[in-house]
Amino acid sequence: MDFDSYDLDPIFYDEMFLADGSSRVACRQLHEALLDLSAEELASIQERVTRSFSNEGITFTVYGDAEADERIIPVDCVPRVLSNADWRHLESGLAQRLRTLNLFLEDVYDEAKVVADGVIPADVVYSCPQYRTQMRGFSAPNGTWVSICGTDLIRTNDGFRVLEDNLRVPSGVSYMIANRKAVKARFRHLYRTSRVQDVEHYGSILLETLREMSPRDHSSPSVALLTPGVYNSAFYEHMFLAGEIGAYLVEGRDLLVDGGIVYMRTTKGLRRVDVIYRRVDDDFIDPLAFRPDSMLGVPGLLDAYKRGNVALVNAPGTGVADDKSVYAYVTDMVRYYLGEEPILENVETFLCRRPEDLEYTLDNLEHLVVKRVGESGGYGMLVGPHATPRERREYAKQVRADPADFISQPTLALSRSPCLVGDRFEPRHVDLRPFVLCGRETRIVPGAFCRVALRRGSLVVNSSQGGGGKDLWVLEE
Amino acid sequence: MLARSAQGLYWMSRYLERASHLCRLLQLQTEALVDRPIREIHFGWSRIYGSVSRQPPVGDLDWIDSDDYTLADSYTLADDLTFERANPGSVWSCLALGRENARQMRQCISAEMWTHLNLTYLRVQKLEIQDIWRVSPESFYAETVEESETFAGVAAATMYRDEGWRFVQLGRAIERAQLTTLLLLSQIEAGERAEHHFDADWTSLLRLYHAFEAYSRRFSVEVDPGQVLDLLATDPRLPGSLCRSLDSAAAELAAIGAGPHPGASDATRRLAGRLAALVNYDWPDSEDREALLRQINRYCWDLHQLVTDTYFDYPVEDLSTL
Repeated sequence: MDFDSYDLDPIFYDEMFLADGSSRVACRQLHEALLDLSAEELASIQERVTRSFSNEGITFTVYGDAEADERIIPVDCVPRVLSNADWRHLESGLAQRLRTLNLFLEDVYDEAKVVADGVIPADVVYSCPQYRTQMRGFSAPNGTWVSICGTDLIRTNDGFRVLEDNLRVPSGVSYMIANRKAVKARFRHLYRTSRVQDVEHYGSILLETLREMSPRDHSSPSVALLTPGVYNSAFYEHMFLAGEIGAYLVEGRDLLVDGGIVYMRTTKGLRRVDVIYRRVDDDFIDPLAFRPDSMLGVPGLLDAYKRGNVALVNAPGTGVADDKSVYAYVTDMVRYYLGEEPILENVETFLCRRPEDLEYTLDNLEHLVVKRVGESGGYGMLVGPHATPRERREYAKQVRADPADFISQPTLALSRSPCLVGDRFEPRHVDLRPFVLCGRETRIVPGAFCRVALRRGSLVVNSSQGGGGKDLWVLEE
Repeated sequence: MLARSAQGLYWMSRYLERASHLCRLLQLQTEALVDRPIREIHFGWSRIYGSVSRQPPVGDLDWIDSDDYTLADSYTLADDLTFERANPGSVWSCLALGRENARQMRQCISAEMWTHLNLTYLRVQKLEIQDIWRVSPESFYAETVEESETFAGVAAATMYRDEGWRFVQLGRAIERAQLTTLLLLSQIEAGERAEHHFDADWTSLLRLYHAFEAYSRRFSVEVDPGQVLDLLATDPRLPGSLCRSLDSAAAELAAIGAGPHPGASDATRRLAGRLAALVNYDWPDSEDREALLRQINRYCWDLHQLVTDTYFDYPVEDLSTL
């Protein structure tokens, strides 16, 4: 199928094509393979990719539906290809960033030198709801607060940028693997000859990381994955990962704490748990320490963690480091903690808590993306250029009412990647979320959950907001 | 294994067995709609509703006296038992619940089991009674039964024989025993209400358990209700017989072994043994089979409760840790 009608807009970096319409070196093989396939063949490939998801029950749940609906994340069958050089650049940048964020967390719950030295204002840190006073004075084992991080990256004509660090309970890694399994089987020959780096061993690397976090020096610690349960949007992923790493998939009601030790209820009685990969937010993990109305939590869990009897991955309190206001200071933190220049830049960010930034934001709403500091998943944000004047006016009111709750960023020219839309290829905006693991050492699987804004022109890639996925191929050298 | 996982597998198995049992009954019943006399069809519906302890949506079945009514009502009755979302015992509900338990315990069953079950669910999930009724409802039931038997085969071929497997088998055995006692009781009651004894009512029961050939070989082609009951209750060579289900429940419990409280596990195993003994040793000399069946059914309920208390919802106070 040809690309004759494919729209190349110089404003947007195209993942497959150069400005003159020739394909980028890394994409050459894929491009040729796509040209060779007929529209019918591509349609059948797409159909089989989609069907494999439904047959295997790879689903997510959408919040706010009357019935908790199981839905399938739409997957576009055309892979996105990343050159090895691009990947190595990202890899070193991501490792540098996670090292910094762990140092920040260790510092901010201890002496907070970063505040004393004026790198980040005190109110930005301490007014953040994710700053957990319960963690004050606590030092995480090995200084590892964040063991599992999913960083959102975008690419523009100026290169890669970090859009967001997800340091609490990042999700999406199961789709990285599911997309790979579904797509590679449909492009058998191309996949083999393209020399794509493997991602399907993620589970074994995750397990290694979790084992390294075990408080008991144990060659096979008992590992549990704590899920909020089947109604959580990422339940499929919890179940999938538990299977990949051979962990018990537990809910709060399966666990109990006695004498500072965590146990789970088995058919033979109570069995000690060493490592908990928790996919439950801080607020809900322990009703004694956090929200008392939590039904999902385990009373006494935080105490057991602080006593060093169980590993919690990630540690409670990491949310202060991926807060949307704190984010604006991460590149300064890299310089402060490591004395290095940041390899990956941030997106320019205006903090509405600063009067001059507020003024700028309100004056330029039609060019900016405005986000609530505490929201995620694409909820509660305004994409200025796509909003009506009335929507902007309404939103401005909210911003004025509580400026500290908002940040704004220029509307980014997210790169675009060809997608199969009906019987032709059309460009769609994409981002990527690679996963960084950190136990005693840092490990990154060469791949990512690549998200696609499937609606034409849309910049919102979140699965809850009509986004889909793509397989991302990182090539060998 | 995790107590909640064991419970999920146990329930998955129970729900799927329930769905498959009901489909077998409905397959026979919809086949009968083609050419059997109205009286027999009527008997069939009474038997089914009696065995699931449910009030039919058309009210009391006994007043039915015209052909047209029975056939029109059959549509309503089949819908109620097959696709009624609000009926927790309908085929649709049982499949959905079985699949939901499997979905939550996916890491405890084989990938092949999950895929097979999910495909069955996806097929049935969107159907309504009108989709199956016009052409051949019996083939819908036959296919669903076949899929459930394939599921059992896939499980046998692929599932690791760990504790989870034991709970799958235990759930199936207890569910089968319960369904069989309820069906036999319903058969006896429906038979007592009829004025005459009809062979056809008993042959259909034999066919339901794939036992017609076995019966003719062991006894004769003339059907004797007492002998039918004997065969279905006590013949260890018959796959669906009551004694096989109860023996299997006892064997699975022995294999699972002690739970957290040894006293409770012993009581559970004793009850399972007593149940098996009721069919194996008390049945042949029993004067009142109906009363015995009632007792077996009651014990089945108790056994379910004991299994739950012993392995799933046990108290944790004063418990030593592993």
